[in-house]
Amino acid sequence: MIPQLDYAFYVWTSYGLFALIMTWQFLQPRLRRRRIMAELREERALETGGYDDADA
Amino acid sequence: MNFHRFKVAFHRLGSPPTFHKLCRLLSPWLWAGFLVCALVGIYQALYLVPPDYQQGDSYRILFIHVPAAWQAMAGYLVMTVLAVIALVWRIRTVEIMAMAAAPIGAAFTALCLATGSLWGKPMWGTWWAWDARLTSMLVLLFIYLGIMGLYAAFEDRRKGARVACILVLVGLVNIPLIHFSVEWWTTLHQGATIRLFGESRMHPSMLPPLIWMTIGVKLMFGAALLDRARNDLLDQDRRKHWIREVIGDKA
Repeated sequence: MIPQLDYAFYVWTSYGLFALIMTWQFLQPRLRRRRIMAELREERALETGGYDDADA
Repeated sequence: MNFHRFKVAFHRLGSPPTFHKLCRLLSPWLWAGFLVCALVGIYQALYLVPPDYQQGDSYRILFIHVPAAWQAMAGYLVMTVLAVIALVWRIRTVEIMAMAAAPIGAAFTALCLATGSLWGKPMWGTWWAWDARLTSMLVLLFIYLGIMGLYAAFEDRRKGARVACILVLVGLVNIPLIHFSVEWWTTLHQGATIRLFGESRMHPSMLPPLIWMTIGVKLMFGAALLDRARNDLLDQDRRKHWIREVIGDKA
């Protein structure tokens, strides 16, 4: 049940911002790590000749 | 003997593979701790604590605002300690951690300023006032952004980190200014309500959610710091042999 609060807009916006920033702090490093790992795997595949290019 | 073991274990943290492994192991536990603390804290803040007799429910914003403000300053102190270690002993993993702390600290400072405005509008009748506490907090945000910008401006990451670490030390002067601004100048912002030493002016029934949220954001800071440092290490060491083992594990 959602509590009925005075100044609801200000309170909920604050808690929403908190949730948004915490979620971003959680997701951003994971997205970046996924990108770095993909790059590293691609570089490794190019070095070893195991690169499977679908457009080739 | 124990001290020697501790010293050896501490020095091993300077080794990138060991540091990477530690980040990978610790981070999920810190995130889990944050989630538990935040859920308990938010539940108490929204459902259990009574409304304030003057401010009504608007004071519930402070359960976000105050932990964010404390963490913005505590994060800077952590970054300063890391910067000193990085400058004196030139440990690369510590340099990386010092630089990884800046965006998290900036996020907490921005959250503190935004929630302060959201509380200020209904209570003070204005979103913003150029008083000493608010202005010094805004300066903290600019310092964090300056450190991030300076670090990013160098192609040589190690040189960038060392220069940015010096800026971290210069910016430290702002932390006591923020803390004592409400005592040194006449400000619209209220004085300290919660004291570590001495009696707090906040009603005891309102303290538990604040404590939960404060512990929660500290755990989150640690978790996000390890996550970001781990990524920076991966990025910087992409040509090193130990990274191949990491990719091998994941492939």
